[in-house]
Amino acid sequence: MSESPPAVELPAVDQRAPSGWHALPDRARLPSMLTPVLPFALPGMVGGFVLAGVFGLWFAPPVLALVGAAVGAWIGLKHYRSTFWRLDEDGLAVRRGRLWQRETRVPATRVQHLDLKRGPLQRQRRLATLVVHTAGTRHSAVTVPHLDADDAERLRDLLSRQIDADDDA
Amino acid sequence: MPDPAAPLPEATPDATVAAERRLHPMSWLFVLVQQLKQFILPLIVLLVFGRGDRNELWPLIGVAVLVVLSLWQYFTYRYGVAGDRLVIRSGLFERSLRVIPFARIHNVALQQSALHRVFGVAEVRLESAGGSKPEAQMRVLKLDDALALEALVRHRGAAPASAVSEPESATLLALPFGEIVRLGLVSNRGMVVVVATFVAIAQISQRAILNAFQSVGKWLFGFAGEHHFGIAQYIVSALAMLVFAVVLLRAFSILLALLQYYGFRLSEIGRRLTVERGLLARWRTSASRRRIQAWTLHEGTLHRLLKRRSLDVDTAVAEEQQQQRALRELAPIATPAACDALIEHLLPRAGWSQLDWRALPATNWWRLVLPTIPVVAAITIAASWRVGAWGLLVLAWLPWAAFVAYRRAQRMAYAANPEVIAVREGWWTRHWRFAELDKLQALQLTRSPLDRRCGTATLHLDTAGSGALSPQLRVRFLPHDEALALYASLSRTLTSRPLRW
Repeated sequence: MSESPPAVELPAVDQRAPSGWHALPDRARLPSMLTPVLPFALPGMVGGFVLAGVFGLWFAPPVLALVGAAVGAWIGLKHYRSTFWRLDEDGLAVRRGRLWQRETRVPATRVQHLDLKRGPLQRQRRLATLVVHTAGTRHSAVTVPHLDADDAERLRDLLSRQIDADDDA
Repeated sequence: MPDPAAPLPEATPDATVAAERRLHPMSWLFVLVQQLKQFILPLIVLLVFGRGDRNELWPLIGVAVLVVLSLWQYFTYRYGVAGDRLVIRSGLFERSLRVIPFARIHNVALQQSALHRVFGVAEVRLESAGGSKPEAQMRVLKLDDALALEALVRHRGAAPASAVSEPESATLLALPFGEIVRLGLVSNRGMVVVVATFVAIAQISQRAILNAFQSVGKWLFGFAGEHHFGIAQYIVSALAMLVFAVVLLRAFSILLALLQYYGFRLSEIGRRLTVERGLLARWRTSASRRRIQAWTLHEGTLHRLLKRRSLDVDTAVAEEQQQQRALRELAPIATPAACDALIEHLLPRAGWSQLDWRALPATNWWRLVLPTIPVVAAITIAASWRVGAWGLLVLAWLPWAAFVAYRRAQRMAYAANPEVIAVREGWWTRHWRFAELDKLQALQLTRSPLDRRCGTATLHLDTAGSGALSPQLRVRFLPHDEALALYASLSRTLTSRPLRW
């Protein structure tokens, strides 16, 4: 990268984040919690229907669905608290997970294309999900969920600047 | 993209294309054969079951429609070269114009089935990175035209007429007959055939396999009605069946290896690698050396017995299963020295033979046993359920698994230099996986709770085109500070080097 490191002016770094890393904005808490709710509530409900069918526990489906939703929300909260990102001269890095920690780094020279996604709730809260695609196989799409919309756009612009430079196939 | 030194003026796709060419006049036949392959079942069903109705002509009408479609394709398909790109026109009502810059073509595959060879033609596929379909598929071209097209891609469209400048083709590896027999011996290709045969026989007659079993016994012992069959005889005939099955399997494997790899030749023209192989059907694949994304050197148990290894590469060409079109096997089987020489030749700057292998701490060997334990436990429980206390014998597997894990942990190592990163794993079956740093796409550092407890981390390195079945390029059990240093230095290196693939 010949140009100077893309310095991004960013919101005040959260105390929760390790130094040099950015946490997700507070507005992202609700969407983060809602994302895993359905994937957990549905199996709970299905399990509840099985129980209801076998043992005749009519109240099992709603109760288990609620339990699933609560577990999902709790996991979402955990995800929200343990997701950090940073952009430095080496490219974009995303840190996720607390028990199983994983830090993924996409060098700016390896970005193939970028997606910016905004759901209705995200639009209302000025959030966006950035997906960085590389030509790789196992980590070909690196997702940063529920970023501040302005940060996301800035990240997208800075990372896509590199793609134009790469002309020769 | 446009090359400033290109001799031709920059041609827009609509500009006149020098000498448009067509497919081979017989190409309609092969398109028809291809389409018939898809429709063969319905057609047979119609032929067989349509009898008695007055619909016997339907299949013929279907074939006639397909013939017309095939001819249609022949008359509307043209290709030509415009500067540094290939232009393909097809269709009459729904016209399509496809422009493929030569620089984007990663792989050229020529395929000749036995029928193709009768007519002296070949099917050509041009592939770029990614995507599930070839960029262009020409069914079929005259063999000379196909080779000329391949040469065009090699020269990136710059007039191939000057045969003087054509570098000599140098053979890097050729497999004589004996090597192909060895390849058949180590491969399990025959398994598919044998298993399919068994299943088919079992489908036809439930008793057939049992009868075969007994007749083998009779043949072995010369006498014996069923009442004479003692347990010893059963065991011996079971063993005989097993030996027979293994021999059959290997024989089929050798046969398949001969069909697929007869006349295997890896050659190099300039920077391009070409693989030719096949007995009846012939394959010819060629790709530029720098399109290789990652390398796998493999040594199984049988390989080691025969003192051989195999060298595979990944290219970024998306490949569906069973389609042998991408350049994949550089050396299906070769001596370790030949493999090393090949790597040295193709990756001259990597210093493959002088790599500084750094062992990973073998104290983590017990973590390699962990995945086996639930499996062994499940089998033990199932076995104890069926045969009582004898089922506990399954637990005897654990010491062996521990031993294997220990040896594996001792052999695990990685090597990194400014050009290449390599990982060595396995003991019973071994592999070396490596990639040039330029070809790495993303890095991931993971730590499980166990990793944190042991002070280690795993570094995953992602490359393009690595199949789900090929071993991962990852360094496990890396001490945490070492992992952080490697991770940081790799991300620094990747940033300073543009992607070349």
